[in-house]
Amino acid sequence: MAGRRAALKAIDWAAFAERVPPNQRTMFNNLKTRSDAIAAKLTSLPEKPPAIDWSYYRSVVAKAGMVDEFEKKFGALKVPEPVDTQTTVINGQEEEANKTASAYVEASKARIAQYEKELEKFKNMIPFDQMTIEDLNDTFPETKLDKEKHPYWPHKPIADL
Amino acid sequence: MLSRLVFVSASALKSSGPIGAGVVHASRCLHTSSQSLAPVPPLPEKGGKVRHGFIPEELFQLLYPKTGVTGPYMLGAGLLLYMLSKEIYVINHETFAAASIGAVIIYGVKKFGPSVAAFADKLNEEKVSKAQEVKDVAMSSLAQAIEDEKKEQWRVEGRAMLFDAKRNNVAMLLETNYRERLHMVTNEVKRRLDYQIALQDLNRRLEQEHMINWVEKSVISSITPQQEKESIAKCITDLKALAKTTQAKATA
Repeated sequence: MAGRRAALKAIDWAAFAERVPPNQRTMFNNLKTRSDAIAAKLTSLPEKPPAIDWSYYRSVVAKAGMVDEFEKKFGALKVPEPVDTQTTVINGQEEEANKTASAYVEASKARIAQYEKELEKFKNMIPFDQMTIEDLNDTFPETKLDKEKHPYWPHKPIADL
Repeated sequence: MLSRLVFVSASALKSSGPIGAGVVHASRCLHTSSQSLAPVPPLPEKGGKVRHGFIPEELFQLLYPKTGVTGPYMLGAGLLLYMLSKEIYVINHETFAAASIGAVIIYGVKKFGPSVAAFADKLNEEKVSKAQEVKDVAMSSLAQAIEDEKKEQWRVEGRAMLFDAKRNNVAMLLETNYRERLHMVTNEVKRRLDYQIALQDLNRRLEQEHMINWVEKSVISSITPQQEKESIAKCITDLKALAKTTQAKATA
């Protein structure tokens, strides 16, 4: 009976809860309640059923050989273990999740690199009170007045003033 | 000073005017031709120094070694006298017009100059502070975004826990199921044995009751009428004796 029990990994629910983003909190709570229910059910069942007192039955039951027959068959009976179909599915899910996670981490790193670049630009900028309009247009290209599209002053639609 | 006037009159400009600070924070490369890559010095904040509003200070510095402090004034007075005496400049009606207009202008600038300058500076200051605010907000939001991304990455690292929890659940369910099966087997066997015992007890009880009933019936049917009369007579004599004894006891 001891060989087939897969070791139950101790799960640190507190650390797990920390890592859950707020938009998945309900899912996490549902998982936790389900896990707790299953664990409670497991602990409520004793590991071995109480042993049958064969000698008592042998003395009481009048039918000859019945108790012996029962005892023999009972001893020979092997309860089949339930088949585990889900662990492979879960492993498959885990691999998929690993793939998507690494893709997400890659994208996240790219985003971080972009943010850092912009931050560098802001840090190395000359202060505003030393800039000319040309410097402003170089640093922030969106401030450049389009003199081809609006050739007359103020070089932008009146509504934008 | 005059440059500030120009600035105010051309309103709605985004120009920051002639500006500069004492310290160069970073270099600005403005030499776009390939001649020189030296960093451009920052723009000066104020215009060249002048004396009496229009005479550059450099003239005084130029003449100081030779003629001292009064040199340029003497030069100016001499030039003026020369032009008046030689009638190179002729005094006419326009002279008085120019003098009065000049007086009014000088009075106006001296009186209102500083306040107008402060107003123009305030406008400029607002523009700069707005731009600075935008820059600060942008920088802080970028830093925050970087922090958030790092946090999300840390969160993603915890995904193994989810799958551990799932596998644990599956294992627990299997274990529970197995135990339930064991229990069920034992209980069923017990039930069958108990059934046999209960059956035996029931049989014995029925036999006992039946036997008792049968014995009773046979006894009752075996009582003949003769025996019945005898037993009734005996009962009566016994009762009489008992009555006598109790009467004697009661009176005694």
